Amino acid sequence: MCGIHDLTEQDLQPLTHSPAWLDKIKGMRFFDPHVHMTSRTTDDYQAMADAGVVAIIEPAFWLGQPRTGVDSFRDYYSSLVGWERFRSSQFGIKHYCTIGLNSKEANNEKLAEAVMEILPQFIYKEGVVGIGEIGFDDQTPLEEKYYRAQLELAKEAGLPVQIHTPHRDKKQGTRRSMDIAIEHGLDPHMVIVDHNNEETVKEVLDRGFWAAFTIYPFTKMGNERMVDIVKQYGSERIMVNSAADWGISDPLAVPKTAALMHESGIDSNDIHLVTYINALKAFAQSGQINEADFGIVIDQSEKFNGSTVLRGGQQPRHNKNTTIIR
Amino acid sequence: MTAFVYDHVKVRALLGQLLHNQDQPKAWEWLQKRREIQEKDPSSQQFVLTFTAIPRFTGKQPLLPSSIPAEELASLAPGFFVYDWTLDRLARVWWLLFLPSDDKSFYLQQIENLFNAAEMNELAALYSALPLLAYPEEWITRTAEGIRSNIGPVQEAIMVQNPYPAKWLPEPAWNQLVMKAIFTEKPLQDIQGLRQRANQALANIITDFAHERQAAGRSVNPLQWQLLENFLNETNFQDITRLWHSAYNVEKEAAALVCYHSQYQPAKDLLANAPEILAEVNQGSISWDVISRKINLS
Repeated sequence: MCGIHDLTEQDLQPLTHSPAWLDKIKGMRFFDPHVHMTSRTTDDYQAMADAGVVAIIEPAFWLGQPRTGVDSFRDYYSSLVGWERFRSSQFGIKHYCTIGLNSKEANNEKLAEAVMEILPQFIYKEGVVGIGEIGFDDQTPLEEKYYRAQLELAKEAGLPVQIHTPHRDKKQGTRRSMDIAIEHGLDPHMVIVDHNNEETVKEVLDRGFWAAFTIYPFTKMGNERMVDIVKQYGSERIMVNSAADWGISDPLAVPKTAALMHESGIDSNDIHLVTYINALKAFAQSGQINEADFGIVIDQSEKFNGSTVLRGGQQPRHNKNTTIIR
Repeated sequence: MTAFVYDHVKVRALLGQLLHNQDQPKAWEWLQKRREIQEKDPSSQQFVLTFTAIPRFTGKQPLLPSSIPAEELASLAPGFFVYDWTLDRLARVWWLLFLPSDDKSFYLQQIENLFNAAEMNELAALYSALPLLAYPEEWITRTAEGIRSNIGPVQEAIMVQNPYPAKWLPEPAWNQLVMKAIFTEKPLQDIQGLRQRANQALANIITDFAHERQAAGRSVNPLQWQLLENFLNETNFQDITRLWHSAYNVEKEAAALVCYHSQYQPAKDLLANAPEILAEVNQGSISWDVISRKINLS
């Protein structure tokens, strides 16, 4: 927080240099259904808002450093429904999350048991739109155990599931994730299979699941490849996300991919489906998403006497292109 | 002996009536069902789940202003404020009044658990409920902790139109609340007990803070000067004379008001030099509330 200031109109204007690709998607609204904002700066929030991102989903994940106690998980989940949600609202981006025990940390059995005990406290919170991201990393028996347990939890709560598919042995891991979900009686329409590529997409779509693609440099999808996927498979049940996190990643992956699709002659309606509508439909099955809340700086319940935290709720802009800091 | 410092059964009934008056029959029906279950067979798990689930069933529309029994509320729970609340917040605060309070340690633990796993709107509801919770002396540390929050709606729930802090917080925590409210641009006139709880330490902090802002070329909220009214001395009176000569009307008016309410002789003399301003203060066209409205408009 910046404390008190005398904001002028100028402080609230977008910076004058805007990249050419932004023009192509001017006026479009985007929903990034997988982005780890906890690991990102306010510059990213500002840039996302400027590029038309109006809503995001932050799946609970591995923070890069293994946790050693259940309280670390509790505080992390609390921050996803508390502090991060507020931080996002200051930039006019509606923040949702999915709550779950990630596959890596499922391998610490003692801790995993304790985390499973606290999960029910969080999955019914306002704005929790699914159980996620869960699934396989190394495909160990413990990963499978807690994946299954969380599928049951999702079924009981009537929440969608956001599945993380593994980097290694991906094709088998993806198939196995879907098999197990079916085995537990989940409707494929309630399951979003994430981090797809050219090798996995066909089976995921054929079996009736949602196929999410992560546009992430070097290790996951590039957006040129994504353009080809949409040309080949169309826009039904396909969605793109950034999965931006603590690694080299791009929180503008969704609007940038929309711009590239536009340039490549993909129909605007298809672009709208894969960068907004499909994610909305899939996760709105939680009953926790109200589209009217999108792109509003602060929601009705956070308003008090008509005043918001900063004037109009907007954050003042700091010009990074000068050596002067005021 | 009762755990509550007010008639909680009457207030609970009044809040229930207010909920009923919102014209949301489905929400009301669901809340009644939850209440019946809670009264017949109280269970911690059901209590917590209901608290969390409330917005799903009530929605988040603002309360109908005409429905608020202002006078009755004011006499039963002075300072307790529900204006501009949303339905889910009212329902949550009402629901908290059904938690059994006879066993003190059980009650404290239940409320603490709610705080510890709360999302943003739950936190705001919990802090809004402070004036109605049982064992009020037990929530002082929790309130001081809440003041440290960086979440706007949480800060507002504690600072703005909440009678609990002024009544219960010790001076250091109170001063922290006021300073944090200034830093985060809360409407100072809506802090209950702001002038009554003014103190020497806070007056000194306020003056130092103004000097820091001045050195940085930044302005200060003119409303903060009311905290100096009873604590003027040779040193900080220089700040008041500086304001008196300010080019900004609101600053000049703030200086006049401080002088008007102060017993410090040089301040009285200063104001006596400008009978036309004194007249305006006497007529009420210069007051802290008027300044508050002016700066909200600018």
